[in-house]
Amino acid sequence: MRDLTLTDVERLESRADEARSAEVAFQMDEDTFRAFYERTAKPVWVYLSRMTGDAQAADDLLQETYYRFLRVERSYANDAHRRNYLFRIATNLVRDARRRPRVDLVRVPEEDAPDALRADGDVAERTARRTDLTRAMALLKPRERDLLWLAYAQGSSHQEIAESLGLRTGSIKQLLFRARHRLAALLGGTRT
Amino acid sequence: MNAIECSREQDVIDAVSSGRWPDRCDDALRVHVAACAICAEVAKVARALQDDHEAAWRDARVPPSGRVWWRAEMRARQEAARKAARPITLVQGAAAVCAGGVLVALAALVWPMWPTLTAALGLLTASSLATVLPQFGVPLAIGIGSILLLTPVALYFVFSEK
Repeated sequence: MRDLTLTDVERLESRADEARSAEVAFQMDEDTFRAFYERTAKPVWVYLSRMTGDAQAADDLLQETYYRFLRVERSYANDAHRRNYLFRIATNLVRDARRRPRVDLVRVPEEDAPDALRADGDVAERTARRTDLTRAMALLKPRERDLLWLAYAQGSSHQEIAESLGLRTGSIKQLLFRARHRLAALLGGTRT
Repeated sequence: MNAIECSREQDVIDAVSSGRWPDRCDDALRVHVAACAICAEVAKVARALQDDHEAAWRDARVPPSGRVWWRAEMRARQEAARKAARPITLVQGAAAVCAGGVLVALAALVWPMWPTLTAALGLLTASSLATVLPQFGVPLAIGIGSILLLTPVALYFVFSEK
């Protein structure tokens, strides 16, 4: 084996300098990214926020989601596939965050009614319904939460859900039925 | 076997997501939902989740795209630099191992001659030193001084970044 000389070390150091100043390899250019981000950032943040139960965690995971998305070398058939893949990354990050014991995901609201509950009419009813929902969602399995949110909050199709969660399209109907049945039971007497 | 889907599920979801459910949708759908357990569940769950989605949407404050892009770019560059610097660390580690090996080899070489060396040093008494030092004192002092001066300079050039 050839001995490494001081010149070799200099050459390696210059490579490190080049890497510092080189253009980084992302799957899309800045303009394309900006357009894609404007279309997807809010739904992704809302999904992350509700699946983690923590707005701060959603902020961090949003940045991480887009970073991983940009770094991956992958081709997409269309914009919907690209978007589904983005949600898949977000879903995996939420799963990783759930495994971390220190993160208190999906906070269960206190028994005491919040101030808004004392408000009149529709606002109070909506707030009460949201509080019930948060409590009920906290009792579901993580995958059930993901499924229900994508299907009924975001209005995703079965195929989109399957792509976002890494599941088979054929199994979504059954899984969604079970999850919905559980949530409906947990929501109890809430008015439809 | 119990049914797990109804052909009017999508109508219920559409009515909820468009805000028509329950007051502004057609009577036929309302009558159907009242009679269909599946659609009743869909309406209940979809309405709760839609409300929550609307609230989350109102609260959502996402950073500007430029900031997200810039942070991603910075991080990618840092990772690239770390990756490129990894061989340098390996080379430095290898150099340290080689230096250690040379020292061990020297020790192994000197070890058999150790009794001879100590005997020779034993002969070098204080009186003999007194006779030797005046003869070789100046070159010896210059030699030691040079080593003391040049070693830090040499080390500086070896380990400096540029």
